[in-house]
Amino acid sequence: MVPPEYYLLLSSGLFCIGLFGILTRRNALYFLMSVELMLNAANINLVAFSLYWGNLTGQTFALFAIALAAAEVAVGIGIILALYRNFGDVDVMAAATMRW
Amino acid sequence: MVTAFDYVPAIVLLPFVSFVVALFVGKNMPKKGAYGGIAATAGSLLLSIWVLLSVRGGGAHQETYWTWAQGVGSQPFRLEFGALIDPLSALMLVIVTLIATLVHVFSLGYMNDEGERDLPRYYAGLGLFTASMLGFVIADNLLMAFMFFELVGLCSFLLIGFHFREPGPPSAAKKAFLVTRFGDYFFLVGVVAVFATFGTAAFAGAESFPALAEGALNGNVDVWTPGGLDTMTWFTVVGLLVLGGVVGKSAQFPLHTWLPDAMEGPTPVSALIHAATMVAAGVYLVARMYGFYVLTPTTMGVIALVGGFTALFAGTMGLVKEELKQVLAYSTISQYGYMMLGLGAGGYVAAVFHLTTHAFFKALLFLGAGSVIIAMHHNENMWDMGGLKDEMPVTYWTFLAGSLALAGIFPFAGFWSKDEILYEALIHGGSEPLLFAGYAMGLLAVPVTAFYTFRMVFLTFHGNARSEIARNPEPVRWNVKGPLSVLGVLAAVTGVINMVPVQKVLGIEGIDYLHLWLDNHWGGIEGLSSHHYAEIGPYSSTYPFGTEVATVLAGAAISLGLALAGLGLAWKLYNVAEPVEHTAKLGGAKELLYNNYYQDEFQVWLANRTRGLSGSADTFDQGVVDGVVNGVSSVSLLSGDRIKRIQTGVVGNYALLLTLSLTALLVVFALIGGWF
Amino acid sequence: MTDDEPGSSSLRPGLAAVALFGVLAAVVLGSASGFGDPVQFPAGESIVHNIGYALFDIDLGGIPTEGFLAAFLIIAIALDVALDSAVYLAKREDDGTIISALTDGGREIVDGDVAGAADREVTGSTETDETEQGGDR
Repeated sequence: MVPPEYYLLLSSGLFCIGLFGILTRRNALYFLMSVELMLNAANINLVAFSLYWGNLTGQTFALFAIALAAAEVAVGIGIILALYRNFGDVDVMAAATMRW
Repeated sequence: MVTAFDYVPAIVLLPFVSFVVALFVGKNMPKKGAYGGIAATAGSLLLSIWVLLSVRGGGAHQETYWTWAQGVGSQPFRLEFGALIDPLSALMLVIVTLIATLVHVFSLGYMNDEGERDLPRYYAGLGLFTASMLGFVIADNLLMAFMFFELVGLCSFLLIGFHFREPGPPSAAKKAFLVTRFGDYFFLVGVVAVFATFGTAAFAGAESFPALAEGALNGNVDVWTPGGLDTMTWFTVVGLLVLGGVVGKSAQFPLHTWLPDAMEGPTPVSALIHAATMVAAGVYLVARMYGFYVLTPTTMGVIALVGGFTALFAGTMGLVKEELKQVLAYSTISQYGYMMLGLGAGGYVAAVFHLTTHAFFKALLFLGAGSVIIAMHHNENMWDMGGLKDEMPVTYWTFLAGSLALAGIFPFAGFWSKDEILYEALIHGGSEPLLFAGYAMGLLAVPVTAFYTFRMVFLTFHGNARSEIARNPEPVRWNVKGPLSVLGVLAAVTGVINMVPVQKVLGIEGIDYLHLWLDNHWGGIEGLSSHHYAEIGPYSSTYPFGTEVATVLAGAAISLGLALAGLGLAWKLYNVAEPVEHTAKLGGAKELLYNNYYQDEFQVWLANRTRGLSGSADTFDQGVVDGVVNGVSSVSLLSGDRIKRIQTGVVGNYALLLTLSLTALLVVFALIGGWF
Repeated sequence: MTDDEPGSSSLRPGLAAVALFGVLAAVVLGSASGFGDPVQFPAGESIVHNIGYALFDIDLGGIPTEGFLAAFLIIAIALDVALDSAVYLAKREDDGTIISALTDGGREIVDGDVAGAADREVTGSTETDETEQGGDR
């Protein structure tokens, strides 16, 4: 097995790339894609340690996480639709009315 | 076995209940709380008489009802409420409750029948006052006495300012409160000094502060004195501090200015509070603490001098007054001056005797004035009156009885008591210049008193009616005439309780009942008797006319002669069909007397001198204290205002904040947990 | 790297992500004790078969695992709910009636407008062919 540190580095790198996308992207769809990236980074971690500990729980859990990510994207798309309807734009920075 | 002493708290609480009842349900009651008040004070009167009889039967009582603060440490203090029933307080209880009952009955006529408004408040005020005064009378320690002292001052304020919708009464109430408060400030310092010096403020018992003071002066007991001051000097200072409150409450010079203005209150209030009971509180306090005061000759001399001076000073001011109640107000100040003279001169019994008789005849005179005021439709100017004696016989005869007592004419009550005070001052004043000065001034005040008293009587009741209302005065009912009659009889006969001159001249033993009473003859508390005070007191008797009997007779003759002279002068000037003002004959003194020796203006001037100090105190309070409080709140407001700007509503900012916080947390945990 | 919208935002917030990566990498690489020997799966076992056994709580496989039947069922429900909610959110609400967001024969649907709805077809208006601004962007 490849030493687990590399898997950890990979997953944290992927996570931070997803985070980068969240922090800089303005289009809501790209925002969602970045969230997907972050979820998958967690999945990588789960699978890697499933192999490390020799227990299938990690992989099964990762399967569930994938399914949930899909569900979450479905809902997210619906939210983006509502966002568009109310603000006329999918720019996440445009929806700033819940402020002080 | 039920004793009267079990019911002592009820004496105080019954009027308090009537206060509460009048306050909350008075407006629904037929007489707005009057019947409740009458019932309560009559109940207290009956209980007080029972207590008096119990003390007469050989009991005296001291009981602590509630310890409300207990100190810890090497010198523990105990602050408590308790009752002290001995001959003096039993006597005072009867006096206060009797006059309170009569005033309540009189108020039915003066307030209810005249259709006054806000009567529940009035009866509530009377009830609270009666309860506070009775609490003061039974107080067994100085702190409790101080608390009730302040309470009666509050009630006085409330009742003087009863007609608060007019401009005069609230101002007068404020003045009364402030002037007495000024004196009470010194009283409070004195109370604290007593606690600091003796560790206790109890009036009676072996551990009371008068007993400890006596022991300290004999060298048996150690007491604290500040800065190593001599014990006698320190006791004098403490006595003078407490005297500050006495001077304020009993309207002695210089804190007398509030009493004439207090006449703005309803006349029954004047009768109860400013004649017979509240102003008596100061004198009663000195009598209660007499065992402490007699130890310090300087304070005694000061008391006598202040008293004598006030007697003369106020008497001269009463000469020129035009309003009925004003004459009586100055008369009150003057008579309390006599009591202080008596106390200062070592005449403990004489002063208490005068307190008793004065309570009766001054209340009588005020109630009589109230009756005249009702008749004259609230016109108090004596120059509008005249000829009322035919229209109002009951009022006239009782008022005359009170006036004869006030002027000190034999055989009315005032003669005996005033005469005894002057006698005590005379015989003790042989080697004490302060006392002798007090005696001289008191003696000079006798004709002045008789003069202004009978000027008042003649202008009001004799001669021809000088106005339409005086020709057809409003009739008064039984609720006015009843109390007047009771007090009229008392003013005439109270003298018999202490006919000391008769005893001494005729050699009959045992008729000086008051002397025996206050001497614990029938029972009392050890150490609170008049002979004990005489023993530890600083005075010795000298008889300037040779023997005791000769001095008694000579003193009585001199004071009676002066009183009759004053009466005669008033008769000549004012007992004519159409009297005129004779004040022009006073010459330059007229303006001085009219303006009360400019004492009111002087006190206002003094108060204005403190503006600088009070202004800086106000600035400190508003700037520093309020500034700190506002500053604390403004810190909160400002920081809230700044921090709220984090909520920009932009999701990206929130995500950024999350990320940064997560990073920071990880770094912190890593460093602490040694992950590296 | 510019963003999709004109007048885009800066990239500076992304530095926070970079910093986080730095911290994580430092922790991972600098971990004192490191990781021990991995326990790998036993040879000869089919992973997929075992995952299936785990999903249905069947005790057949040789690889140790936990039972996921309950989670399986809950996920099924959750997915179903998510699908329905997505469809619901996508429907447009207009004048009290909910109108599907589907286009009809290539016509564009105006945002919030009744254009192209069944009502217009019923009333036979001539606006059916107009093209308007809007639509999903």
